[in-house]
Amino acid sequence: MQLEEFWTWLEMTPLAARIGESAWFPFLESMHVLSAMFVVGTVLMADLRLLGWSARRYSVTVITDEVVPWTWGAFVIAVVTGVGLLMPRASSYVANPAFLAKVVLLALALVNMLTLHFFALRTDRVRLQMTTGACSLLVWAGVVLAGRWIGHLS
Amino acid sequence: MLQETVVYLLSNVPGLPPIVQTVHLLGIAVIMSSVVLLDLRVLGLALPSQDVQELTRRVMPFVWWTLPVMLLSGLPFVVARPQRYFTNPIFGLKFALLLPGIALAALLHFNGIRKPDYWGTRLIAALSLLLWIGVVLAGRWIAYVDYLFPPEE
Repeated sequence: MQLEEFWTWLEMTPLAARIGESAWFPFLESMHVLSAMFVVGTVLMADLRLLGWSARRYSVTVITDEVVPWTWGAFVIAVVTGVGLLMPRASSYVANPAFLAKVVLLALALVNMLTLHFFALRTDRVRLQMTTGACSLLVWAGVVLAGRWIGHLS
Repeated sequence: MLQETVVYLLSNVPGLPPIVQTVHLLGIAVIMSSVVLLDLRVLGLALPSQDVQELTRRVMPFVWWTLPVMLLSGLPFVVARPQRYFTNPIFGLKFALLLPGIALAALLHFNGIRKPDYWGTRLIAALSLLLWIGVVLAGRWIAYVDYLFPPEE
């Protein structure tokens, strides 16, 4: 109950009203798409190396060290713009099955990334690296699909 | 006939529009990890230990394979509602940015292998970076044309 009040409160904030009633919404959405696709693109480059399909002349850690900071930078922009998009329609989005699927898939992406960072890379286990690379490809494609589907349900 | 079929499929196959749009979006992700990251590498901003010539050979084929996929995943929506797109100035802008973007991608593919350190290659990379970002933003703004050009009453 309290959580529902929070979403309603969020919709009522002056910032949410400002975004919802102006060109801020499409501006934030276009920045969200751009940064999110940069996240997925950089993740893709790392995944192809983890799978051993590309860039095999470089070690896995050379590729991840150079690519992942860009992923995080774009991810921060995607989250900030994503929160901005959520605010004006918070209570309808949190009840949207596609939005909930996206949150679950993002959580899975996080678990996969932690597995890679703390287990697969530390111990240089190639099989586990390949598995996390494959899971990453599938989960991030799912995040994009769920994200795109949100707008078709609201 | 074709238009009727496409409209029928898009409105009756459950989930078809978001699935086709996701293919288009994942194509953008491939563009980001190929030509855009190569642009950043040529400009000296990213991927310092990856060789420009090797990176060019590795990522540019992805661009050429992705462009037909982009065409195929974008076309159904244009076929279904041509008047929505052909009267839309942002749709025109997208293609006005896309065509030089593709031409510069071809130049970058050539120069990245032959003259990776040439100043002209860096100029191509900078313009290419701006154009591809512009293409993605214009693509999303097609749906929001009314914010920029309010329809007359």
